[in-house]
Amino acid sequence: MSEIQTIELAARAAEEPTGQPTTGRFLFSSWHLVLIPIAVVMVIPLVWMLVTSLQTLDETRHYPPTIVPTSLEFRNYTDVLQQAPFARWFVNTLLVTIACVVGNLLFCSLAGYAFARIRFFGREVVFVLILATLMVPFQVIIIPTFLIVRTFHLIDTLGALILPNLAGAFGIFMLRQFFRTLPVELEEAARIDGASRLGVLFKIVLPLSGPALATLAVITFMWTWNDFLWPLITIYSPNNMTIQLGLATFQGAHQTNTNLLMAANVMSMIPVLLLFFFAQRYFIRGIATTGLKG
Amino acid sequence: MAIGGANVRRVMTSDHVVGWAFASPAVLLIIVFGLIPIVWSALLSFQKTNLLSPPQWVGLANYRALPKDPYFSQSMVHSAIYTVLFVPLSVAGGLLTAIALNRPIRGIRVYRTAVFVPVVVSTIATVIIFLWVFDPNFGLANWLLGKVGLGPFAFFTSSNGALYSIVAMTVWGWIGFNVIVYLAALQGIPRELVEAAEIDGAGNWGIFRNVTVPLLGPVTLFLVVWSSINALQLFDEVYLATNGGPGTATYVPVFYLYKLAFQQGIAGYAAAIAYVLFAVILVLTVAQLLVGKRMVHYAP
Amino acid sequence: MKRLWLVVPLALVVIASACSSSSSTATASGSVTGDVTLTMWMGYTPPPPVDQSQEYLSIQDMVTRFQAAHPNIHINFQYVNSDNALQKATVALQGGKQPDISYQYGTNMPQLATAPKIVDLTQRVQDPSFDWNDFFEGERAVATVDGRVLGIPALVDNLAIVYNKDLFAKAGVATPTPDWTWDDVRAAAKATTDPANKVFGLVFPADASETMVWQFEAMLWEAGGDILNADNTQAAFNSPAGVRAATMLQQMQQDGSLYLDFHPDSGQYTNLFNSGKIGMLITGPWDLSAFPNVNYGVQQMPSFDPGGSHITIAGPDNWVIFDNGPDRVEASWEFLQFMASPENVLKDSLATSHLPTRASVEQMPGFSALDTKYPGVGAFALNLANVTKARPQITHYPEVSSFLGLALVSILQGQASPQDALNQAADQANGALAIPT
Repeated sequence: MSEIQTIELAARAAEEPTGQPTTGRFLFSSWHLVLIPIAVVMVIPLVWMLVTSLQTLDETRHYPPTIVPTSLEFRNYTDVLQQAPFARWFVNTLLVTIACVVGNLLFCSLAGYAFARIRFFGREVVFVLILATLMVPFQVIIIPTFLIVRTFHLIDTLGALILPNLAGAFGIFMLRQFFRTLPVELEEAARIDGASRLGVLFKIVLPLSGPALATLAVITFMWTWNDFLWPLITIYSPNNMTIQLGLATFQGAHQTNTNLLMAANVMSMIPVLLLFFFAQRYFIRGIATTGLKG
Repeated sequence: MAIGGANVRRVMTSDHVVGWAFASPAVLLIIVFGLIPIVWSALLSFQKTNLLSPPQWVGLANYRALPKDPYFSQSMVHSAIYTVLFVPLSVAGGLLTAIALNRPIRGIRVYRTAVFVPVVVSTIATVIIFLWVFDPNFGLANWLLGKVGLGPFAFFTSSNGALYSIVAMTVWGWIGFNVIVYLAALQGIPRELVEAAEIDGAGNWGIFRNVTVPLLGPVTLFLVVWSSINALQLFDEVYLATNGGPGTATYVPVFYLYKLAFQQGIAGYAAAIAYVLFAVILVLTVAQLLVGKRMVHYAP
Repeated sequence: MKRLWLVVPLALVVIASACSSSSSTATASGSVTGDVTLTMWMGYTPPPPVDQSQEYLSIQDMVTRFQAAHPNIHINFQYVNSDNALQKATVALQGGKQPDISYQYGTNMPQLATAPKIVDLTQRVQDPSFDWNDFFEGERAVATVDGRVLGIPALVDNLAIVYNKDLFAKAGVATPTPDWTWDDVRAAAKATTDPANKVFGLVFPADASETMVWQFEAMLWEAGGDILNADNTQAAFNSPAGVRAATMLQQMQQDGSLYLDFHPDSGQYTNLFNSGKIGMLITGPWDLSAFPNVNYGVQQMPSFDPGGSHITIAGPDNWVIFDNGPDRVEASWEFLQFMASPENVLKDSLATSHLPTRASVEQMPGFSALDTKYPGVGAFALNLANVTKARPQITHYPEVSSFLGLALVSILQGQASPQDALNQAADQANGALAIPT
């Protein structure tokens, strides 16, 4: 079995229970006793956040704390929207994230295919250099990257968040590995029929690469959406902030308005949670891929 | 044959051009935002600059000042403590949780989702949640701990406890990642091996010790290396939850260098710290891989 | 068709950059006719109806009068909390959107000194009509970094001892005279301490913060010591003078006369003093309005030896100018000269209870009204003559301060001897000072 097929199988299996019928098989297993506490510990903080987001300020100061919601103050959410440019932050983050996802998909496909299939001068050396950048941790390069972005006059603009992240070494590496596992005969056949390299890539290879592209898209999306340190360094006007950075400044100003803070927090998480629930298999696939191939 | 030779040459030339055409956008971006900064950062570490005025060369002065800098040594100590706690807890915890989640029982999907969700929550969201959960006066944690006779604890506001609170918070946030990887790996264990062990009379514990753990060796090694690298680069949670405090109780290297470069204008020294941290990460990774190679058996 | 794909991400980058809003506030630059608009950041208080906005109103009055006299100069002044002024200025400088005039803590000067856009005022202040030497020596030292004058004094204070006259009388302690010594203070503290009624002779911060350290530094100077050596490369506070000052604190602690305040920023100590629970307090003029219930007196810091120095410490803040073009720099300097003129300094002091930043103001006829309006402030104003030294204006000062603070706490808690604790702090400080900046 090819590498990629193994991972596919394993990843798919991770999303589903072991290949035995689940319905009615075990009505009650002692494993529930183990799993329930684990699940509770993982979920309780989120639940409590939700509950707090619907309380009044006085209720949040009530001790002992209540897990059961005592009121449904939906106006907390509207208050947050009035007190901070949440919609703006959301749009900023969406713009940046989509740009980075599209950029990565596009440029990493092109480059990954070139490294996988096209022999060109200096290919090996350049590929090794690109891999080398994966080894270097981010903190080493933040200062010069900041200076470069400043030279381009992109400080305090969304361009500062997009440009350095349009193509990453991870995406190139991952797609190159993936493309190499595809049967090369298909591509050769197309070339003999007169297709250009670009045509082969877009008409043959990419359609076969759905899962890998989806995984890269999801990973890039999640990483860009949740990024904090880089926006912290490059953005300072409230209107140009991303959700993470904006939420951090909101937290600084509203440390004691816990109910508002939790409402803001809930709103910031919704997009990623939605994406997660709908594209769960690609998240899991992406993480499994990283782990099993690492 | 002349014509064939020319055709071949034409194809080969065009391959070089096409190859570079395809690769150049990404390669250019990585050169500008990856390779150049790597080299520039190394140069910066031999300079002093506040990022506003032209830098000046100071030779090895930054590196010589490092061992005597009390904040740097504190940061490294805190980082070591954090890593030594975070890695085993999240990796071993991940394995045990994955085993529990690898059961064909009803509702397993719900349990799995519950374990995975914290991974997608951003660090600021996690910190906001935990600042509230760990609130010394109104938080859920002290209330629950009080019910079993423990606490109350000061969590993030305690000089002794802040670092451990960060450990707890980040284990919660990241254990799901390890669970996912382990789950995938567990699925990859051939049933024949498990059945063979059962036939030999091994109980669950025996199977775990003699079949599962060794076969998960490569994955465990990867997760240990990956978690260690991430642990040593801790920043977001420190900046957002404690801002390095109380006092300097949660100073870690990346946080310290961020403050130096972007708040105090001591960027050359910060670059030196970044490189020293990089060296530590490299050495640790290599050591882990070497030890791992001895201990890990790869599946046939 | 294929090209379009490449255009999309680039277009997004361009759109995104264009979408980002600009946060510049200054409008037109100097035109031929010299019409100039300046942006000024001041951080006293937000505008009314906030409580205690006298400073805001005082500045507003100065701006109005200045604009009337200079119709071509318009000043936008904004409230920027002084605690954040350095961070905001640094960030603004990165993006080229700095204001023209900014209020900055004196402790921010070393960092601002490295900004290319900060205007060097050394030549300008030498103008005889400006009378630079009229400002107190400690102020001038704080405004100067590496020999460059980078700001003019906006606010000055100093430390003196505020004492409860009634508690002193009750304990039979003589009224403090200007030539009193630390031995006198120690005796007074001991005499006024009444454990049964939870009354303490002297309150001292014990949280290792700069609030604690700068009080110690005044004592260090009074003992003849220094914080750092002449070129700011080594700690000097572990000298015999430093040990002498720390030992005095240790002894008062052992006498039982010290109330150790672990939360000086909470203002709890003002409540205690106001309730008659504290005999003496080392503080500045800003606290006087918090003592309506106390019959208080103010006396300059004691010396260690009879006839010795009564030097005190001050925390002056500055107005700085950032370079946004020659027209705006000239206009900014015009305005700062206006604000710093003796008449306007006196006017501001009377409106806000601030100490006058100029020595000559004390000779002006209206000056006596200051003490009438704000009892005790006059003594602080006269104490400005003792402001002859400043803390080292270097980037690493905060680290030095924190190591010194931790050492002082360990001394007060009896965990280390003064010499040992100060030596350890000196080692740590030297480590920080070795970092090139």
